[in-house]
Amino acid sequence: MTHIGIGLRQPHYRHFDAPAAARPAVGFVEVHSENFYADGGAALAVLQGVRETHDVSLHGVGLGLGSAVGIDDWHLEQLARLVGRVEPVRVSDHACFARAPRGTGGPLLHAADLLPIAYTDAALEILCANVQRVQERLGRAILVENLAAYLSYDADVWPEADFLAELARRSGCALLLDLNNLVVNALNRQRDDPAAGDPVAAACAFVDALPPALVGEIHLAGYCDRGALVVDDHGSRVHAPVWALYRHALARLGPAVPTLIEWDSDVPPLEVLLDEAAHAAALQAEAGRRAA
Amino acid sequence: MSRAVEATRQAALMAALQAREAVPPPGLREQGERARRGLGAYRANAAAIAERALQARYPTVAAMLGAEDFAALARALWRAEPPVRGDLALWGDGLPAFIEAERDLDPWPWLADSARLDAAVAGCEAAADAQTERGSLALLAGEDPAGLRLRLRPGAMLLSSAWPIATLHAAHHGGADLEAARAALAAGRGEAVLVAREGWRARVSALDAPDFAWMGALAQGAMLAAALAAAGPDFVFDAWLVRALQQGWLWRAERAAVAPEESFP
Repeated sequence: MTHIGIGLRQPHYRHFDAPAAARPAVGFVEVHSENFYADGGAALAVLQGVRETHDVSLHGVGLGLGSAVGIDDWHLEQLARLVGRVEPVRVSDHACFARAPRGTGGPLLHAADLLPIAYTDAALEILCANVQRVQERLGRAILVENLAAYLSYDADVWPEADFLAELARRSGCALLLDLNNLVVNALNRQRDDPAAGDPVAAACAFVDALPPALVGEIHLAGYCDRGALVVDDHGSRVHAPVWALYRHALARLGPAVPTLIEWDSDVPPLEVLLDEAAHAAALQAEAGRRAA
Repeated sequence: MSRAVEATRQAALMAALQAREAVPPPGLREQGERARRGLGAYRANAAAIAERALQARYPTVAAMLGAEDFAALARALWRAEPPVRGDLALWGDGLPAFIEAERDLDPWPWLADSARLDAAVAGCEAAADAQTERGSLALLAGEDPAGLRLRLRPGAMLLSSAWPIATLHAAHHGGADLEAARAALAAGRGEAVLVAREGWRARVSALDAPDFAWMGALAQGAMLAAALAAAGPDFVFDAWLVRALQQGWLWRAERAAVAPEESFP
């Protein structure tokens, strides 16, 4: 079994609900935690069945770890219940905010999106406190993922890679390094400022700025190039610049970092995901030979 | 103080996402058209999420309205009643009342109750898993009905409407033709329904008035004697029990000493 996993989405449940010997041979599956917060039902039963043959990684999209108002007690309790049910190999979420009040003193809303946080000392303290709260409740370290962000703040004082490394140092969390997000951000920066340099080189520099031991998982996905803006839509095969960055990352971080093929919109037949996973596995094997 | 600055910054972006007009908040590194494009990416994502989440929970309403009108309804509800939780399966509770308040939808007065039925189906399919505890039904043979209650399976939901919501639901889910639904609407026929799990899926069953009254009493935790009184003289327990067992409506029988709220799995 490889270290390559795929995102398990509803159109592919039937493949993983098959007899054990007929299930896809992938290293692990990753699901969005929030899709399994129900008390019961078919999706949860499929996931618990998958757990019998595969490692499961729980990847959240809703904690809003960088929210200045804090994280939602209810959400954290739902996650803790799911962690107890599934016993996942990893638990992760994003370095973003999602919760904020509607107007001054209004009710707290959830954006249902991964909104950018500022890279300031105060934002780092907020993120650390929220991550530590989650880790204390779950009794385990989590992984925190870097964002694809379409907006940023004047107030930023930390380089993003240093900010995340410091988060990991202070909180004890690991990092989930999304290489597609790095390329999307670098492509957008280049379009904003053609003098910004080669996007893949910029993304490689980001990887190099991280202590390798902090990276516990890598995400690979496709993006959508809309000309004026590149969007992280997880709706296509991994693009060539991301594969190039993956080769670099494997050389820098080690050839066996668990790696996920993410595909969330226009989900294709399973064979397409397995083909992408096979390519990632081949690159890991190649990196392993080079490292030997 | 610094936390307050971050809170203000985040609230400003949240407000820009919720506002009718797309105006970037202050303090962004991006300026002008680039800031509007960035904000637009988040706003477009929110609209797409609203449509997908509401479609998943209210498929019958979506089929009735058509893609374009349903998408507009989803976006309007998102602005009026945005999510407060990170689990989008829970967003959209307010849709039935929102539909009732929307004057443009007055020509389709059954829409709100169809939405209530869709929500009941979605809730039922996400309810705790529980099989009928057949052994507990032996209590029915020997105990005083004044001291017994019958519990419906988790997720079971009863609805009564002045419109033929079960027939309309079936017409949009392959269980009846649209002509039957149109005829039921033309006849002004209301329907009372039970939504209950059959395997992993929720089944919508039309109930007659005595069965509806009986099950409504059971759902409220009434003792059998009180439920029988509520059902009235036309209720036939044996026939109902056969149907209930065949369709898996029942969870278990229990003595009155067990408080209903303590007995859910």
